[in-house]
Amino acid sequence: MQGKRRYIILFLIYKNLQLKYKHSVLGFLWSLLHPFLYLLIFLAIFSAAFSTTENYPLYVLSGLVFWIYFAGATGQLCNVFIKNTHLIKSLNLPKIIYPLTELGSELVSFLLGLIPFMVLMCFLGMHITFNLLYIIPVILLFSIFLFSVGLILGSLNVFFRDVGILWNTISPALFYLSPIAYASKLVPERYKFIVKYNPLYHFLELIRNVLWQNQPPDMHYVGRCILITSVTALLAFLIYRKTRNGFISNL
Amino acid sequence: MDPVIKLNNVSVSYLQNRKGVHSIKDFVLKASFISPFKKHRVLHNIDLEINKGDSVGILGPNGSGKSTLMRTIAGIIKPDEGLLKVGVRVSPLLALGAGIELELSGYENMRIALALSGNYNKATRKEMIQKVTDFAELTNEQLMMPAKMYSTGMLARLAFSSVMTCQPELLMIDEVLAVGDKGFQIKCMNRIHEIIKNGATLLFISHSPNEVKEICTRGICLKEGKKIYDGSSDRAANVYTKLF
Repeated sequence: MQGKRRYIILFLIYKNLQLKYKHSVLGFLWSLLHPFLYLLIFLAIFSAAFSTTENYPLYVLSGLVFWIYFAGATGQLCNVFIKNTHLIKSLNLPKIIYPLTELGSELVSFLLGLIPFMVLMCFLGMHITFNLLYIIPVILLFSIFLFSVGLILGSLNVFFRDVGILWNTISPALFYLSPIAYASKLVPERYKFIVKYNPLYHFLELIRNVLWQNQPPDMHYVGRCILITSVTALLAFLIYRKTRNGFISNL
Repeated sequence: MDPVIKLNNVSVSYLQNRKGVHSIKDFVLKASFISPFKKHRVLHNIDLEINKGDSVGILGPNGSGKSTLMRTIAGIIKPDEGLLKVGVRVSPLLALGAGIELELSGYENMRIALALSGNYNKATRKEMIQKVTDFAELTNEQLMMPAKMYSTGMLARLAFSSVMTCQPELLMIDEVLAVGDKGFQIKCMNRIHEIIKNGATLLFISHSPNEVKEICTRGICLKEGKKIYDGSSDRAANVYTKLF
């Protein structure tokens, strides 16, 4: 039975990927275009304004790639139970499989997209050292974090359908509140709390440690990110466990 | 012989929205501090024993709890009271066509349906696909097309064939035979008889007393979540007809 479950999970991931890229001629390439276009916009508009930031193109790109992963995956997870209504109502499988497979396919397309962007980052002056390998645990931690956020949104969205609409509004705002296009140092001291209480800020620092500064992650941020992830994951687990038995009657 | 399915005093409830709260906005505007959900009982104290090889038809008006009963037996909904024992491997696909993705081709959908019902692995996939194709009588060209271009009947053929070619221990069918042309319906009926003959147990939801009489030996009639008749399929069909 365990083997069968694993097979179903892999199959659903494959199906999600198939559906995602089915009807666009360039398929996978479109997913690269999105961050690339934004990168060009930021370079054109902000590079003069933020010229004090060392290697601004690399700074933007490293944050941007991870932001797009976050925004895309949480957006998908938000609707994951609603999207799979028919399967949930007719398959005797743990419902957690649906968000897991959704994350799985998002992760696969993120990792595939990361390869060309890593090449681009090298052109932008990123050094290839063993320090870069630290990005693997960072991606893992970040994925658990966004999965938890998505699971909370997805579970609540079954009962309150405006959660999805709200998230669509909040998430672009979150983009500008997070230091992606600007350096957190440039934020005036009295507004710094906005940045500091944004969980994404700590992850972005971690990502920049590795990709931009080419250093091992700062233990200070590692600790905070692990704490943030644990709390979010616990919350997600509690909310999911409380709501999952009501899914069928509300879908 | 022990029954393969045993329900002892089983009750099932749904969470129901009170006052139509479907969004946070509604929640804030309409609701006070009481929970926006209340429990709505769908099945009341059901006792049921089904033996291996039984073919049971489930009849009842709309909303009488037929699908809920099936979902409970399949393990998709948990009963909030009573004891439920299921001693067979339940073929997990209940509503036919549940996994159909309209954007994907017939072949891709076939693979998904087979994988979801746990009947797809490297060793047998070619053979299974061939079997399904033969049963569905769809051409190679049709199966390459995305399913959104299919007619309703073709979709039913695709969905039904994917399930029908397997030999489940417990086959559950939730009113679907009405689709497809006469020829395909007869073919499905024959296949159902064959599956039963091979030792499977059948649960069959239908609104057609004649279908139940034809396929099943035993019939159950539900009304408002209570079992009002359990006996021969002929008698159950009569009870059902007299309800209206």
